[in-house]
Amino acid sequence: MAFKRKSVFRQRLFRLPLRADTRLVDRFKAYLSIQKDSLEQSFGRIWQTPVASTLTILVVAIALALPVSFHALIQNARHPIEALETTSQISLFLKPELGNDVGRVLTEKLKKNPALMGAKLMTKEEGLRELGAYSGFGDALAALGSNPLPAVIIVKPAATDPESVSRLLVELKTLPEADLVQFDNEWLQKLQALLAIAERTVMAFSILLGFGVLFIVGNTIRLELQNRHEEIAVAKMLGATNHFIRRPFIHSGFWYAILGAALAWVVANLLILGVQDPVNRLAELYGSPYRLSFLGAGDTFTLLAIAMLLGVSGAWIVVAHFLRRIDAD
Amino acid sequence: MRDYVLPPALIPDREWFGPLFVYMSIIVFKHVTKRYPESGEALSDVSFVIERGEMAFLTGHSGAGKSTLLRLIPAIERPTRGEIMIDDVPIHALPARRIPYLRRKLGLIFQDYRLLNDRTLFDNVALPLLITGHNPQDIGRRVRAALDKVGLLRKEKCFPPALSGGEKQRVGIARAIVHKPPLILADEPTGNLDRELAEEIMRMFREFNEVGVTLLIASHDPDLVRRFGRRTLRLEQGRLLGLS
Repeated sequence: MAFKRKSVFRQRLFRLPLRADTRLVDRFKAYLSIQKDSLEQSFGRIWQTPVASTLTILVVAIALALPVSFHALIQNARHPIEALETTSQISLFLKPELGNDVGRVLTEKLKKNPALMGAKLMTKEEGLRELGAYSGFGDALAALGSNPLPAVIIVKPAATDPESVSRLLVELKTLPEADLVQFDNEWLQKLQALLAIAERTVMAFSILLGFGVLFIVGNTIRLELQNRHEEIAVAKMLGATNHFIRRPFIHSGFWYAILGAALAWVVANLLILGVQDPVNRLAELYGSPYRLSFLGAGDTFTLLAIAMLLGVSGAWIVVAHFLRRIDAD
Repeated sequence: MRDYVLPPALIPDREWFGPLFVYMSIIVFKHVTKRYPESGEALSDVSFVIERGEMAFLTGHSGAGKSTLLRLIPAIERPTRGEIMIDDVPIHALPARRIPYLRRKLGLIFQDYRLLNDRTLFDNVALPLLITGHNPQDIGRRVRAALDKVGLLRKEKCFPPALSGGEKQRVGIARAIVHKPPLILADEPTGNLDRELAEEIMRMFREFNEVGVTLLIASHDPDLVRRFGRRTLRLEQGRLLGLS
């Protein structure tokens, strides 16, 4: 008899008839309508508490706008620098005692080199004129009796990757006429290194501020949970699953993050708009067709997706913690 | 129906849990003990059976373990020892994720009503149906039927703070029956109400019982219980003293 009793219990345990007594189609329809209602309701709740919600959304927006605008500016800086990279050139200074004729012969020879896109001779006189024009030392240079400048050949490498460039540099250095070979790209590389540092810094700040968004949304949801403590307790008593209780709060987190991200998008574009004029004037001064660009579709999408992820996970963490505490009570 | 079943107090001791028995009974407590780490044993070795379709009372002084017993059934508390079967489900062994589905089979009525003050009567009563995921038309129909049954259909757009105590308890009852549970548990449902209102609530319970709902009602008012002449479980200091 004891055995039989036990087996009945076991049967019952594995064959629990505990399910909603509704059809699957109805349940799916209900699910959709619940999702829609819940999204609307959580939006309505945000709308009904304008001050608190606006504060949260503003803080989220600021936390997101900072990294986003820096990111946009760095991306903007990256384009002209990459454009510069293709115009890199090598200055081949000839030994000062060699005259322009030697330079001319060497230039012709270099032009036939397949590793080079072109070579142009800058004679001693041209060099002096250019230095005078750009440095403002014109008068002082005119006072010099003789021209101290060497002839220079400006060489354009065919390939711009660092390896072939350095191979070319070695090749040029071994020329008997060469005194000094200078790769004008070095400053560009330094600039790029600086840019990389800036990018890393922005990335680190982004991660920090991302955590900020997580905590802000989490904290707002926590307050909301406390306000609706009684409601949650009653719903649990009436058979609400944790999923059911979690849903509206996840949706609140979603709204805070999405609205904050939308505001951040506006703020970032306003910042870009603010610096647009001076940057464009600078580009004009350099005769560059470059213009500052706003946040593109890809960046906007990434911003919204990351914000959504942060908002939803912030809410999730807090609600999960809350539910665990309630269950323990 | 009763004729087929042995006196309930005897059944657990005879260790007879055949399928017929399981079918006939909706609540089975078998040597259930609940001990709190702070306050000691609230229930000790309680065994009883409530049949399907029965209306039973649970009496005893405050602190006798009535509330604890009623909290064990929806698995708000878990027993320290013993076995509890509710509508064929062994809830002493029920995993936590199944508990919501157990509670959906129950109608719970509280002494302090536990209504949501920021929602209309309609929304309060609709909550169990929202939780189970009924479609909106169905919810409207059922909620109105439940409110009609307790005589509050006209006030469906009111908020609970605008109601009297008796009306609040009727809303609580509407919420407990709207999803048509086979078992209703009421913890001191008339504790805050005067005699007349209490009578009215009890009459309502009897009506439910007549259509086949099982009710277990905790009450510390012996007069009320006696007047209804139903089976009564008497608890004292955590022990089941007897059935009358």
